[in-house]
Amino acid sequence: MYYIGLVVEYLKNYMKTRLTYRADFWVEVISDLLMQASNLIFIFVVFGHTDSLGGWSESEVVFVYGFYMVPFGLFSCFVNLWNFSDRYIVKGEMDRILTRPAYNLFQIFLENIDPPGLLGSLIGVIIMIVSGSQLGLDFAWWFIPVMILFAICAALIYTGIYITLTSLSFYSDSPTGIIPLMYNIQNYGRYPVTIYNRAIQFLLTWILPFAFVGVYPASLFLGREEMVHMAWLTPVMAAIFLTIGVVSWNVGVKRYRGAGS
Amino acid sequence: MKAIEVEHLSKTFNVQKNRDGLKGALQDLFSRQYNQVAAVNDISFSIPAGEICGYIGENGAGKSTTIKMLTGILVPTSGKLNVGGYVPHEEREKFVRNIGVVFGQRSQLWWDIGVIESFGLLRKVYGVPENDYRKRLDELVQRLDLGELLNRPVRKLSLGQRMRCELVAALLHNPSIVFLDEPTIGLDIIVKTEIREFLKDMNREHGTTILLTTHDLQDIEALCSRVIMLDEGRIIYDGGLDTLKSRWGQGTRVTFQFGAACPLERLRTLTSDLQVDWTADNDLHAEVLVPAQLNVSDVLAKVVGQPNIAITDIKITETTTDEIVRQIYRTGSASKPSGADTEGGQPLHV
Amino acid sequence: MFSAYTDFIRIRFLTMLAYRVNYYSGILIYMLNIGVYYFTWQAIYGGQGEIGGFTASQMTTYIAVSWMARAFYFNNLDYEIANDIRDGSIAIQFIRPYNYLLVKMMQGFGEGLFRFTLFMIPGMLIALLLFPVRLPSDPIAWIGFLIMLFFSFLINSQLNLLTGLTAFFVENNQGMIRMKRVIVDLFSGLVIPISLFPGWLSSVMQWLPFQAITYLPGSVFTGRTQGTGILEVFGIQLIWFFVLLIPIFLMWRAARKRLFVQGG
Repeated sequence: MYYIGLVVEYLKNYMKTRLTYRADFWVEVISDLLMQASNLIFIFVVFGHTDSLGGWSESEVVFVYGFYMVPFGLFSCFVNLWNFSDRYIVKGEMDRILTRPAYNLFQIFLENIDPPGLLGSLIGVIIMIVSGSQLGLDFAWWFIPVMILFAICAALIYTGIYITLTSLSFYSDSPTGIIPLMYNIQNYGRYPVTIYNRAIQFLLTWILPFAFVGVYPASLFLGREEMVHMAWLTPVMAAIFLTIGVVSWNVGVKRYRGAGS
Repeated sequence: MKAIEVEHLSKTFNVQKNRDGLKGALQDLFSRQYNQVAAVNDISFSIPAGEICGYIGENGAGKSTTIKMLTGILVPTSGKLNVGGYVPHEEREKFVRNIGVVFGQRSQLWWDIGVIESFGLLRKVYGVPENDYRKRLDELVQRLDLGELLNRPVRKLSLGQRMRCELVAALLHNPSIVFLDEPTIGLDIIVKTEIREFLKDMNREHGTTILLTTHDLQDIEALCSRVIMLDEGRIIYDGGLDTLKSRWGQGTRVTFQFGAACPLERLRTLTSDLQVDWTADNDLHAEVLVPAQLNVSDVLAKVVGQPNIAITDIKITETTTDEIVRQIYRTGSASKPSGADTEGGQPLHV
Repeated sequence: MFSAYTDFIRIRFLTMLAYRVNYYSGILIYMLNIGVYYFTWQAIYGGQGEIGGFTASQMTTYIAVSWMARAFYFNNLDYEIANDIRDGSIAIQFIRPYNYLLVKMMQGFGEGLFRFTLFMIPGMLIALLLFPVRLPSDPIAWIGFLIMLFFSFLINSQLNLLTGLTAFFVENNQGMIRMKRVIVDLFSGLVIPISLFPGWLSSVMQWLPFQAITYLPGSVFTGRTQGTGILEVFGIQLIWFFVLLIPIFLMWRAARKRLFVQGG
């Protein structure tokens, strides 16, 4: 209850800040949308030259992309750790966070909350509806609760992976820039992972499980039998990776050295 | 009751050794070497509730590291500590509800929104009931004269205004222990005085325990009954400010200006039964150092009114705390200056 | 004066060496990028002999060399400049006796040297082991590629300067920086070679500077552009290099004016 109250308070503050810089708000929204569009371009260009990608049709791949956008939107709204190392470790703002009576990671999430990210989720839903109807998918009532569950779990998988990677900045004494490097990799779970070789499939399934934020959960709704068992693993993976993330974070905080002296 | 108890507290950092030049840097890429640096080295002290204690030392002496351990930000390498009934780093979220922290160099407030919005947010974070918050805020706003600042965003405040707001932010939840890390840094003399007065009143009215670090010894003189002095991670003095002054102050300096030449020998003979030390730059000037146990008037009585000594001016100066502390920093120990009984490099608990 | 600038190159090179975790993870991640695109294109080719003028084997070489080129030319100048502007430290740069943008370019070049010797070359060797990459046999192709690679770096850094400087004019240009990265990756031909885009889009891209970053040097390396064709594509790079100086100059002038009027 306490934490929900805080979310509301921080959202209010976000609005107040954003109203001061209205032009920026739109620049950000537009650039996010363009980014999503450019990802779709890749899919369209590829299917301009082939009818199927590892046995998946264009509409199916677009549907997977639409699904992928939903958890990604949730994630980019609530979890922004991109500048954690710079802002909280190098500039020492972690000191302030640690002297406040709320879970430190949660405070960091709240301070960087970014509601425009949710717009991506909305567009993802629209893409799924459009490509789903092109495919003639039979809509079943359980799609909605299961999709909400999977979307939340996928967002938690993202969160777990990024918390783990970010917590490395507690262990390393030089700032790390791994996170920008991940930017490409997180995209690879949007395509049917079966087209990759074993090593990469293994990596995207079990080590950096980005396949669980795209193709695996989406396959359930597309009725791709070969992956359905993976789809139901999504909540399990979410629990595992979130735990890994939070544990390595908590251990990392104990090693925090403060900035300056 | 003790507000803060620290026993054998140490904090060691691993510092990466950088090898020189291109070759060294390439070697560092594949294998690294580390040095262990003890920022705080086996310190013990305790502070009773309701005390204002000054924590001083040169840059890099370990002040901030100690404060950060006491506030739960850093986890100690070894040693025991207890602050307000908690082990800070173990139950951090519960513990910090009882403390207030101000870092002079860093803002606690949100940069882009009005000060009052920040306060409102902090109220939620600390879970302060609406009524208590209103009362407390009114009191603080009135006391620190913030009235018209409340709606301005922090980035539009002057440093003095901002610091007063920082204090309010740290005190809204009425903490019983307050840590201030250089609260007066960079402020003008008027704001400094205001803040000192405010802290003194708060201590008197609410019995708040205050631990503050500072480089401005006037903060210490104005506020603290006790100082802890740190050097290279060790406590070199822990005791009253008066004791520090009386034991390590070099007494009183009396400067004479003469109308006609007055040889130093003559002055030495006049005061031969007193343990004083004369120096002179020239025949028209002389200086005498009177130790604390002697009276300045005794010395003056011997010199003033003597035939053939034409005094045109007398100046009496006390050794200031600044001078004492500078002296201690220079020698790196708080043992008595030469001539007095030394007590080794041991920390003194007076 | 010049030696001051070369010092910026040296210092950045040494700084880069300190980022050890980045270094190891960077090599792995670049290999993964090449791997993913390699297998994706394998799946796209299926049995087809040629797509957009690329044979499957040319595509493999193109992917490997493009990602390794990116490992060299990529830098964070945009982000660094935006940070300097936001935290106000840019004001100090104005009173120093050097040109800020030139210093940034030098730092970028120091980073580039690091990336070239410790990222790109070892990375290329690993890629040769893992994937069927075919190196050019013609020495002209090698020389042409290396010269053009340097200009890839220049043009990419110029775009980074431009993006970074927008922080003078909008409060928060993070979104813009992210967008620029995606656009450069897509329109430079890194993700998809320009000739594979649908006709209208690929002709639009021929009028944009991005293709000069990856696509043109890549086509020299794969042997799709040969002989005098190399001079032609290098000419395009040169033109873009000079054309991009103009908006940089204009933006820098506007930025100075803005800084002096608003006081940072």
